[in-house]
Amino acid sequence: MRRLLGGMDVFTRACAGWMSLMVLLAVVGPFLPLPDPREADFEASAVGLFSPGHVLGTDSNGYDLLSNVVNGARTSLMIAFVSVVVGGALGAAIGIVSAYRRGRIDRVVNLLFNIVLSIPNLVLGLALVAILATSSDPSVVISPSRRVVVIMIALTCVVLPVLGRIARGATLTWINREFVVAARSMGMRDRHIILRHIVPNVLPAIYSVGFLAVGVVIVAEGALSLLGVGVVDGVSWGAMISRVAGEFTFVPHSMYVPVTVLALTVIASNQLGDYLRSRLDLREGRL
Amino acid sequence: MAGTGTAHLRGGDAVLKATDVNVRFKVPGGTVQAVSGVSFDIMRGETLAIVGESGCGKTTLGKAILQLPPPDSGSVVLDGTDLTSLSGEALRAARTSIQMVFQDPISSLDPRMTVRNLVAEPLWVWNRGSEDERDAKVRELLDAVGLEPDLVLDRRSYEFSGGQCQRISIARSVALEPAVLICDEPVSALDVSIQAQILNLLQDMKERYGLTMVFISHDLAVVRAVSTRIMVMYLGKICEVGDPEAIYSRPAHHYTSALIGSVPIPDPTRRTGRTPLRGEPPSPMNPPSGCRFRTRCPAASDRCAAEEPELREVSPGQYVACHHPRG
Repeated sequence: MRRLLGGMDVFTRACAGWMSLMVLLAVVGPFLPLPDPREADFEASAVGLFSPGHVLGTDSNGYDLLSNVVNGARTSLMIAFVSVVVGGALGAAIGIVSAYRRGRIDRVVNLLFNIVLSIPNLVLGLALVAILATSSDPSVVISPSRRVVVIMIALTCVVLPVLGRIARGATLTWINREFVVAARSMGMRDRHIILRHIVPNVLPAIYSVGFLAVGVVIVAEGALSLLGVGVVDGVSWGAMISRVAGEFTFVPHSMYVPVTVLALTVIASNQLGDYLRSRLDLREGRL
Repeated sequence: MAGTGTAHLRGGDAVLKATDVNVRFKVPGGTVQAVSGVSFDIMRGETLAIVGESGCGKTTLGKAILQLPPPDSGSVVLDGTDLTSLSGEALRAARTSIQMVFQDPISSLDPRMTVRNLVAEPLWVWNRGSEDERDAKVRELLDAVGLEPDLVLDRRSYEFSGGQCQRISIARSVALEPAVLICDEPVSALDVSIQAQILNLLQDMKERYGLTMVFISHDLAVVRAVSTRIMVMYLGKICEVGDPEAIYSRPAHHYTSALIGSVPIPDPTRRTGRTPLRGEPPSPMNPPSGCRFRTRCPAASDRCAAEEPELREVSPGQYVACHHPRG
């Protein structure tokens, strides 16, 4: 751990700090002395930054922006982490096993990855949300929590082939290394070769791309919200953006606040991914 | 050249005996016959050197002995057991009697594992001994290959030089006390000054653990130092088999003679008088008819194109696959 922190420059430290703050807010958000994010303060709607009682102001509905940012972190980060962890784990497992086995299974898996990758993220997300979280009967209300789960599933499907392909490619470069042949010649079982030799060597690539994927997924959640299929009536950064999209020109700070937080989080996550890759890629080059 | 045939097999108490081994690879546009009709036997305690230029099938043959992948036809008999007839668990267990040392010492070691785990890995796979016994064995092996256990145990492969990595590989390959050790170009990636150390080490290990060795190399000077029998290959076939003395002093095959002629002599005033080989080896996807060497052979005749030479004895213990052997 000390080795991991040791080489950080100022920018990376700042990114790590920001990311930790967001995670902390996501965890302790509900316990902070903040107004209810879903309760409008009609006395003070559309007030600016640093207004009394509303540090980041409110939007035109009178929703407290700070409270929404803090509580939105919970939803947005949970969606991002769950879809990246689940999509990454499944993608890596499928990619590694298929590359290790080669042959017909590998060709089919690769074809499926390519097909899914050829569909733009948002179109795929939209289609999945449309299938899983809409009802033909307008009187049936779909609860925000169900929407959250559906968006997680949709974004997992977006992440899975990306990380799956990375894992497959990385595995292909490792299985031809002589230590894998050596492991086989000493009678090691395939299962152990994968767990002891392939997985530890493929993981760094997965970690770094995983962090990039966190950024992509956070943005995708915002974009889906803007298109009206996100957690529109819930509390998330995307929901904040979509709520104020129409009145951007009248209450600009109600847009700037969530967008800034979202952008900083994406930048921080990308930077941490880059940093992790450079640190974990020990290779012979570090001699 | 390019002989088939089994005249050079000695029968009797061979540790490892390969008969008519064929390995083919499917590549875009055809099939490569990487090893075709190769037979050999090794007596206990011998070192058989397999020599030839790049692409002649030496490494493929070495891996085929280990069944990685198994040959397309032919048999590999180790201590009376035909490895090609085994599969699954039986093959997994049988493989431990043959271990391999690879050409690239750095690529043969997982960069994420400590030396302790690397050397203990074969023992771990086969669940040999307790934790403490394994640790003692690892120390003994590291000591045997000339590394100070306390200094190296907790380091990783990228902290070592090529020669040190090769020592670690050798320690690991003898951990299961195999009967046969296949060394695939074990010193060609190393500095010349280190090569001699590793060759001496291999010789020590051979005596200490009673190993029988297959030594694959393209370097005739190295081979001369270690082998008790030499097998020369060209384009997947055997040219000549014999003891080093015979091969070096009176090579019967024109290819062997050209190979020996290509060994640099560290004296610019001496001339060898030998003509070097011209051209490239033909494509193994479409080898020449008859003798595979005829396209580059100074003595080639019509017969060489029509008829494939079989291995035959030209002097006691020396076998050559050539219609017109050198006198």
